[in-house]
Amino acid sequence: MEWFYWLVPWEESTLVVAATGSAALFFLRGCALVRPSLHRKLCFWGGLSLVYLVSHTQLDYYSEHQFFIHRLQHLALHHLGPFLIVLSRPCPVLLRGMPSRMRQAFHLMAGWKSIQYPVQALCNPVVSVVLFSTLIGFWLLPSIHFTAMIDWRLYRVMNWSMFLSGLIFWGLVLTPGPVVGVKLSPGSRIGMMLAIIPPQIVIGALIFFTSHELYPIYTICGRAIGGINALADQQIGGIILWIHGAMMSAVGILVVILRELMLAEYPKHGEKVA
Amino acid sequence: MGKNFAGSRNSGYNQLAAGLVIALAMSACNSTEQGHLKEVTGHLPDLSFSLSSDEGQPVTAKTYEGKVLLMYFGFTHCREECPISMARLTRVMHLLGEDADRAHILFVTVDPTRDGPGELRRYLTQFDLEQAIGLTGTPDEIGALAKRYRNAFRPHFPPGGDGGLMHGDAVYIFDTQGRARLLATSADSEETLAEDLRDLLPS
Repeated sequence: MEWFYWLVPWEESTLVVAATGSAALFFLRGCALVRPSLHRKLCFWGGLSLVYLVSHTQLDYYSEHQFFIHRLQHLALHHLGPFLIVLSRPCPVLLRGMPSRMRQAFHLMAGWKSIQYPVQALCNPVVSVVLFSTLIGFWLLPSIHFTAMIDWRLYRVMNWSMFLSGLIFWGLVLTPGPVVGVKLSPGSRIGMMLAIIPPQIVIGALIFFTSHELYPIYTICGRAIGGINALADQQIGGIILWIHGAMMSAVGILVVILRELMLAEYPKHGEKVA
Repeated sequence: MGKNFAGSRNSGYNQLAAGLVIALAMSACNSTEQGHLKEVTGHLPDLSFSLSSDEGQPVTAKTYEGKVLLMYFGFTHCREECPISMARLTRVMHLLGEDADRAHILFVTVDPTRDGPGELRRYLTQFDLEQAIGLTGTPDEIGALAKRYRNAFRPHFPPGGDGGLMHGDAVYIFDTQGRARLLATSADSEETLAEDLRDLLPS
């Protein structure tokens, strides 16, 4: 049963359980009514389980105590997880799957000005691009990173902010139709994905080329994996942000281009592709 | 096609500018305050534990109330970091002089299966140190304390081998009320440690 031990949360979070649990439940119920295609289901379950696994299992221990694994965790929380979830276009399925009262509450809340304004502001393309990139840099400021890694409350805020900003960004660029009234041309979508590349390259390269320890917290509190010294750990982390972070944009751009080509070729079925 | 987002080209420049700001901020933040330990007040929880002392007595955080505490995670078979750290802390205590009576070192073992009270007592007597106590318990108890202070230790998967245990070099410093105040590392000088400890002692 040793494999089972790996699924035991390192630090329990009711919020993570409630959020992933209800999303999974609503999607399951919605699937029976909406019947989404297999690849949409695969994307949703892949994305959701990835986000859950990196934030609520023993893997979290390694993310707390090894810089490059922390970067992998954020790659999953900020890029790959939300990317896959958005690709499954889960909103109609989730809305159908949730209890009708909850759905009504959502519709009611969508009409409130106090909800509309912040949502519209967050879904503004410039804001979402700036938020997506700035959050990466912010949490990697050495003094901020130090505090986030010792204070469990800040650590959770960091991970949630990464996931939510990822969800907003990839939601805007990858959802086929308009999102919260924002209509984006394929060119704008590609522009947004190109815009997040330079900051990630700059921050990743800065971390990679720094010859002293930027994040001593991992040495102070101890590293999870032996045999990797502080600088090597830092350099691998830098490379992950530099290359893999930026690479997700390339995948996203391909998705948008593919969808456009399919729309031009088969206008009726193009929407279903990618 | 409706209203398109026209600012995509501009946002590229915005991002580049934002990136540069971040880069500048990052390089500016490298220099930590010279001559002072890391301040952790409010970020780490108050001291709380229930373990066995090196005399075999059950002890809790309450036992040491009224003293400034220095907590270090180590193990007696450690050949490198632990002896150096304990020698450093011994010197800090000597630097404190008379004030040392109001400070205490807690040496928490991360190798509880091998480090019983006797082993800890023998180990600590090697150092010229009156104000130190070894603490041991079950792997789960030690694990809970290490997790509370974000020290790398997993009770069920100790990365075993002789002397192959990994642990951080942090010294967690608590004030007389048991609040976590400072985090010292092997990079901080003994003089700095002594100076900052004095500031925590009630006059």
